[in-house]
Amino acid sequence: MAKIIGIDLGTTNSAVAVMKNGELQILENAEGNRTTPSIVALSKGGERLVGLLAKRQSVTNPKNTIFSVKRLIGRKWSDPEVQRDKAWLPYEVQEGPGGGVQVKMGDKWYSPEEISAMVLAKLKADAEARLGEKVDEAVITVPAYFDDSQRQATKNAGEIAGLKVERIINEPTAAAFAYGVNKESNQKIVVYDFGGGTFDVSVLEIGFDPETKEQTIEVRATGGDTHLGGDDFDKKIQEFLVEEYKKQEGIDLAKDPLAVQRLKEAAERAKHELSSATETEINIPYITSDANGPKHFQIKMTRAKLESLVQDYLDRSVKLTEEAVTAPAPKGAGFKLGDINEVLLVGGQTRMPAMQEAVKKLFGKEPHKGINPDEVVALGAGIQGEILAAKKEGRKTEGEVKDILLLDVTPLTLAIETLGGVATPMIPKNTTVPTAKTQTFSTAADNQTSVEVLVLQGERPMAADNKVLARFMLDGIPQVEVTFDIDANGILNVSAKDKATGKSQSVKIEASTNLSKDEIERLKKEAAEHAAEDERKKELIDARNQAESLAYLAEKSLREAGDKVSEEIKTGVTEKLEALKKVKDGEDKAAIETATAALSQEIQKIGQAEYNKGNGPEENNAGGQGGAESGPQPEPGQPQ
Amino acid sequence: MEETSAQPQEPGWEERLAAAEKERDGYLAGWQRTKADFINYKKEETQKLEEIARYGSVGLVKDLISVLDNFDLALRSFEKEGPVEKGLYLIRTQLEDILKKRGLEKISVKPGDPFDPAVAEALSEVESEHHPPGAVVEEIEPGYRMHDKVVRPARVIVSKDKGRE
Repeated sequence: MAKIIGIDLGTTNSAVAVMKNGELQILENAEGNRTTPSIVALSKGGERLVGLLAKRQSVTNPKNTIFSVKRLIGRKWSDPEVQRDKAWLPYEVQEGPGGGVQVKMGDKWYSPEEISAMVLAKLKADAEARLGEKVDEAVITVPAYFDDSQRQATKNAGEIAGLKVERIINEPTAAAFAYGVNKESNQKIVVYDFGGGTFDVSVLEIGFDPETKEQTIEVRATGGDTHLGGDDFDKKIQEFLVEEYKKQEGIDLAKDPLAVQRLKEAAERAKHELSSATETEINIPYITSDANGPKHFQIKMTRAKLESLVQDYLDRSVKLTEEAVTAPAPKGAGFKLGDINEVLLVGGQTRMPAMQEAVKKLFGKEPHKGINPDEVVALGAGIQGEILAAKKEGRKTEGEVKDILLLDVTPLTLAIETLGGVATPMIPKNTTVPTAKTQTFSTAADNQTSVEVLVLQGERPMAADNKVLARFMLDGIPQVEVTFDIDANGILNVSAKDKATGKSQSVKIEASTNLSKDEIERLKKEAAEHAAEDERKKELIDARNQAESLAYLAEKSLREAGDKVSEEIKTGVTEKLEALKKVKDGEDKAAIETATAALSQEIQKIGQAEYNKGNGPEENNAGGQGGAESGPQPEPGQPQ
Repeated sequence: MEETSAQPQEPGWEERLAAAEKERDGYLAGWQRTKADFINYKKEETQKLEEIARYGSVGLVKDLISVLDNFDLALRSFEKEGPVEKGLYLIRTQLEDILKKRGLEKISVKPGDPFDPAVAEALSEVESEHHPPGAVVEEIEPGYRMHDKVVRPARVIVSKDKGRE
C-alpha cells in the first residue's frame, strides 16, 4: 500500500504527515523534530545542508544560507513583493531567465524551485526513514493567495525532489480538512493563520450538493500581512529586555553575542510560558560583568506586559481579518462577520490567549482549536493524501474504514452497588466497546442467602445518586461472580453467578449507551459539581464499613474467647463495642474513626491474653466479613 | 417434494450468495487487517516505550544543562577573585555525574576544530590570526548529546576569511 504523504511546505518551517495504521500522524525528521526549518545552505566546506544544520551555521554563512524562498517561488522579478524582499534578504537575488527570480548559493545560481526541492528531498528522505518504505507521491500545501505560476513552481519543486505531486491544496483548506469541518452543509469559514513569519487570513465557502453528495470548497477572499509573524513578538520581548537592562544597570547587552543569544532564548521561553501562566520570571545569572564584578538579570514579566508590547500587532491582525471578511470583492469576501460559521486557528502564535480572545471578540464565537496549530496544515494534507491513495487503489480510506468499524465508547461509568450504598465501577466511562469485565464479590453478612445485584450508570461514588439500569436477585453464597458485557451495539448484558452452585442470573439492558448528549453532559456536570460532597460521603461510608467489620470481629472474638480471657478485658471490649455501635450509623466521621480505633486497641488485649495463656493467637481472618447489609462486597484482591 | 427442490431456484439467490460471500471476504479482510494493525501497533508502542525510557528525561536534562552552565559561570567568576572552595567543584561534579548517568555526554569542540553544524551552532564570526577560516575560535557554551541525539549544540565563535566583509 503506497503512501501519499502530506507536506506543509512553510516559509520558515515545514512538516510532514501521513495516515498510518488508521492514525494520522506527523513524521519526525532525522534530527527527531516534528518540524524542519525550510532552510538550505552550502557550507564553507562545500557541503549542502538542509534544515536545522543549515540554520545553525547561518550566522557565519549568510550569503550562502537560503531561507524564506517561499517568498520568491513562482514570482516574476518585477513583482513588487520580490523587489521588497530582495532589499532585506542577505543572499543574492537576480532576475532569471523568462523574467523569473534566481538566488545565489556558492558559485551557482538556482531557481527558487530548486531550493525548495532540496527541502522537499530532505523531507522525503526522512519520511522514508521513518516509514521504512519508499515514498514517491505527495500532496503539498500552498497559501490560498498563490497564483497559478506559484502553484506550478511548487509542483515543479516536488517533481525535482523526486516526488509525484498528486495535488497542490490550499493551506486553509487543509486546516479545514484537519478539523473535519462538517462536510454535509453549506458553510462559511475563516482560517486565521498566524505563523512564525507570515500572517494569512482566508475566507472559505464550503458548498454541499445534497443530490450529488459533492462538496466544493471555494476561496472567497484572502488577506493578511506577509511580513508579520510570531518572530516579531519574540523580537519585541527581546528589545524590551535589552531596554530594561539598560535602565537597571546601564549596560547595553545588544553588543554581546552570548548575552543576545541568552536573551533570545529567554524571550521565547517567556512568550511560551505566558500562554499558560499570567506571570513568568526571567532569570539569567552572569549575563555580563562590569568593574564591580558579575551581573545578573532577573525580571518578572506579566502576560499583560507582553500583551501591551504586541498590542499593535494584534490590532493589525484583527483589522486585516475584518477587512478580508467584510470588504466588498475583490478585496474581501463581502460577508458580514455574523455570517461566518466557523473560525479555525492555525500557526504557533495562535496559542496566545490574547490572540484567541481578539478573534473570538471579532466574530462573537469561540474559534476552533485543539489540534496543534503548528501541525494542522500538514495533517490536513495527510488526509488529502490518504483520500487520493485510497481512490487510486480502489479501497476505502483508512478513515472511512474506521467509520464502518466505528467503535462506540461508554459515555458513563457502569457500576454495581456494594456494601454501604457505594457504587463500585465495573466499566469506567470512555471504555471502547465491545468489552467485558468480570469481578468476584463476596456477600456481606453471615448466612446471607441472597444478594441483590443493582446495575448503575453514572459518575457519582454513591449508588443512590446514579441511575439504576436494572436490579435482580441472586440466591447464592458466599461468592458471586459478576460479569458486565457490552456488545458493539451498546447492549449491556449483566450476569451474576453463584460460584458454589454455578447458578446464574442475567439481565439484558438495551439502553445503556443511547442516552442523549444533553443527558450525558448533565450527568457529568452533576458529578463534577458534587465531587467534594460525594467524596465526604464516601469517606463516611468507608469509615462506617470499617466500624461495621470491626464490630463484627469484636463480637466474634468475645464469643470465641470464652473463659480464656478475664472478665475485665471482656468488659473493656464490650464497653468500646457499645460506644462504637452508638456512633457508627451517625454522620460524624471523626467520632466513628475514634471509636473504631479505641475498639481496635481493646481487641488486641484479647489476642494478647490468649497468647499469654499459651494458646497462641487464634487465626482470625474475619477482617472484611462484618455487617448486616445485603449488598455484595468487593474483593479487590480477586478480580478475575 | 417438488416444492422443496424448487426452493434453491428462488430468483436471484446466486447473486445474493455471491454478494454475501464478497461481503464475508471483505469483513474477514478487514478483521485481519485490524488484527495486523493491532500487532504492529503493539510493536511500535514497545519501540516507543524504549525510546521514552532512553530519552524520557531529555526535557529535564535540557533544563538542568542551563543550570550547569550558570554554575560554571559562577565558578569562573569566583576563580577570578581567588581560590575557590573545593566543595563547590564537588557539587558541580555531582550534578554532572547525575546527568551523565542519564546518558548525557559533553560534545568536545576545541578551538581550531573545523566548525561542524551537526554539533555546533555559530553565534558570530571574527577574524583570527591563529585559526584558518571556518575554524572554531572559541567555545562559548558547551554542547551536549544524549545517547546519539544532540540535545544542545555547542555555541561557538567561528573565524572568518580575512578581507571578507
